[in-house]
Amino acid sequence: MTAIGKSVPRVDAHGKVTGETLYPGDINLPNQAYLKILFAGRPHAIIKRIDTENAAASRGVLAVLTAKDVAINGYGLIYPDQPVLCGPGSSRRFADRVRFIGDQVAVVIAESEELATRATKLIKVDYEDLPLLTDPIEAMKNDSLLIHPDREDNILRHNKIRKGDVEAGFSQADVIIEAEYKTPVQEHAYLQPEAGLGYIDEEGRITVQVAGQWTHEDQEAIALALNLPIHRVRIIYPAIGGAFGGREDMSVQIILALAAIKLHERGIDRPVKIIWSREESIVGHHKRHAFIFRSKWGATNDGKITAAEVEVIQDGGAYACTSTKVLGNATLMCVGPYEIANVSVDAYSVYTNNLPGGAFRGFGGPQAAFAAECQINKLAHALGIDPVEMRMRNLLRDGSLTAVGTPLPEVVTIDRVVAASAEMAGWEKGPEGWSSPPAESLGSPAEKYLKRGIGIACGFKNIGFSFGHPEKCTTSIELLGGSEIERVIVYQAGADVGQGAHTVIAQMTADAVGVPLEMVEMVLSDTAKTEDSGSASASRLTYMTGNSIRGAAAEALMHWRAEDRPAKATFTYTPSATTDFDSSTGYSTPNFAYGYVSEVATVEVDMETGHVRLLKVICADDVGKAINMQQIVGQIEGGIVQAAGYALMENFIQENGQVATQHLSTYLIPTVLDIPEEVESVVLEFAEPNGPWGVRGMAEMPYIPLAPVVVAALHDATGIWFDEFPLIPERVLLKLQEEKGT
Amino acid sequence: MKKTLHPIKITVNGIESTHAVEPRLLLSDFLRQDMELTGTHVGCEHGVCGACTVLLDGEAVRSCLTFAVQIDGHQITTVEGLGSNPDELHPLQQAFWDAHGLQCGFCTAGILMTIIPFLEANPHPSEEKIREALSGNLCRCTGYQNIVDAVKLAAERGVGQPNPDD
Repeated sequence: MTAIGKSVPRVDAHGKVTGETLYPGDINLPNQAYLKILFAGRPHAIIKRIDTENAAASRGVLAVLTAKDVAINGYGLIYPDQPVLCGPGSSRRFADRVRFIGDQVAVVIAESEELATRATKLIKVDYEDLPLLTDPIEAMKNDSLLIHPDREDNILRHNKIRKGDVEAGFSQADVIIEAEYKTPVQEHAYLQPEAGLGYIDEEGRITVQVAGQWTHEDQEAIALALNLPIHRVRIIYPAIGGAFGGREDMSVQIILALAAIKLHERGIDRPVKIIWSREESIVGHHKRHAFIFRSKWGATNDGKITAAEVEVIQDGGAYACTSTKVLGNATLMCVGPYEIANVSVDAYSVYTNNLPGGAFRGFGGPQAAFAAECQINKLAHALGIDPVEMRMRNLLRDGSLTAVGTPLPEVVTIDRVVAASAEMAGWEKGPEGWSSPPAESLGSPAEKYLKRGIGIACGFKNIGFSFGHPEKCTTSIELLGGSEIERVIVYQAGADVGQGAHTVIAQMTADAVGVPLEMVEMVLSDTAKTEDSGSASASRLTYMTGNSIRGAAAEALMHWRAEDRPAKATFTYTPSATTDFDSSTGYSTPNFAYGYVSEVATVEVDMETGHVRLLKVICADDVGKAINMQQIVGQIEGGIVQAAGYALMENFIQENGQVATQHLSTYLIPTVLDIPEEVESVVLEFAEPNGPWGVRGMAEMPYIPLAPVVVAALHDATGIWFDEFPLIPERVLLKLQEEKGT
Repeated sequence: MKKTLHPIKITVNGIESTHAVEPRLLLSDFLRQDMELTGTHVGCEHGVCGACTVLLDGEAVRSCLTFAVQIDGHQITTVEGLGSNPDELHPLQQAFWDAHGLQCGFCTAGILMTIIPFLEANPHPSEEKIREALSGNLCRCTGYQNIVDAVKLAAERGVGQPNPDD
């Protein structure tokens, strides 16, 4: 009867194939008014004056709101450094300035979207431009202009790791590899642009219907900015059209609540609605951080890494968002899943006038894995050791100390995951160790200007929140019936951003209570009805909701046996505690669980045009336990294609703080013609001891090693290492020609 | 400023109606706002993503690149008009559900409407043909493989083949 481990068809698919499902932009309420935001459009300036008189007098305009209307004009998931609306008269110092082009300056509420748009053009803003800081290396300098003048410098965070003695480690090394890696900005490009509604509900709560990733965090952010008691704010998530981390920070949430309450104060009780255009979405929400890694690693002739020294510079953009947390991951992961006795890392998050960086699938992991995996592949090549064999000699295992001085929680399976991907690709393990498949096994290209190559890269990533960040998840379960259970109602806030969370919540509830799946009813993603589940991020939702569902089911069943009707229980799951970096050594217990992944890719490069095609990707992913295999494979295939866009195509261009790629016609994401010809998912199930049913969490893992595995395969094909991407034809061709010329 | 309204007479999902529309009103906005057919989604507003695809006299068109006035006298089918009745899914819809051909679902309607005329013209398509047919629709979640598989499954189940009763 168990619903676990079955490819149960998604519970939300019927509405999605018929068009009945409502995304925030599809909802219309009687008598609704429309919002339009005036964005700054300039990257760094002080606003001297805002004249809203003409806009307010314009036809159909109900209200024009500016900084003066915001109670506490600063918000942010980590630091409240971002004004809700920038301008004079703010409750916060320095909220009168704009720091990137997507800063919001005013909001018009009008009878229609057209009238609201027209009125925003009548708002006069006097700006005094400030010098621009778009290079994080410049912005780090002591004498640099301050982007946030209440701070001492533009360095938002500096993480340090000091383990062993790197100088001694380099002196033991026979080979030292040094390189500077640059990873690009990436746009989430979820298909559904930001949208939502704000209104006062029947119980007087400021209610926002929006697509986010964490209902209760949205609720708290609104309550803080508008200085309201938290119970006066209600968040409801209708269907969510993709997220990938891009909906973790606020976009339209606070503005919708602000507009609803300001209208209410003026005696106008009308719902307000907003839909961002694609352009507004691209400019208005954070991006995957660009990083620079300056890596120096040494190894002995027998393939043992002796030392790693890395400087990490993260372009945080204008506001903190989740930069410090992303930096934490990159600090830990920039030396890879390897046991290295001597490590020194200095990692910096830096404010600039670029678009803010924030959460995006992998959360610093993909950037760090790029540097780490390129380093180990280069070392293996320099030493003449097979790259799988090189990994086997260095991978973390149970009890190995990571760079931050503590072991990974058991069971560590990365060696088995690497082996599974390698075997699937034709690697063999002999008495001398691992050896790669013969070159002929890649097949011959159709033309002589085409070359093929194969490579491997692996990665690890935390499940759940890290570095001492509070982590918990609450579920309520209600059992109804007489002598037998007839109905099971689960109350869960976890966001289904498309990954299928609601389907696995139903599956896990059915199994935990011991009833058929059809008996489970769900009350979902509404702060008025569900407790805090935490974010749909960090590959945590199945792990965290599963554990809280099991706890709630066990308690509810106990009440049921005690003849309570209905029998209801609420359970909060809290995993083992994590700790932040020690400020001088980095010593910490960063995470409570991990997922492990390894990929082998085959590429074909056109030596005349620089075009790189992904022929095949094998992805081995230890998911602990596949609750729903169909959805697991969907995450692997989707993650790989999104990462293929990152590695090969997606070229986000910012110049002088302006974005040159504001549309999907200029910012190109993969179509079906750009995907690997073949993706092979190798789903491994080595149980995580504290995971529900053994679950680890997996949605980010397939993304992590893809860019470095493409670079490894491209090196195999051409003999050239690429330390920067995206590997668009122009970049590849230029490098091929440079190398040919030298 | 007073706008001229143009009368249009249309058939949407088999139902005839008349409307007065502004000359620059997009078909996508007309369907979503005037007709309250919100299953047609707008993802990019300029013809790149394909989420807004509908059928105009049986041909797939991008409703964000079409004006409402252009459909005067024509037939439109949206995703809401696919099933023969509310309880029964069109076999193409069922194939997308069965093959997990969607995740967030925002692109799904546009993909279904692209594939309907494709399978009618190519009832036994090769994988290459399917990929070509899907190449004008963006999906950010699935990696496309399950979408291709869903189309294959639909073809195997006879979607696009002439109805023997006709």
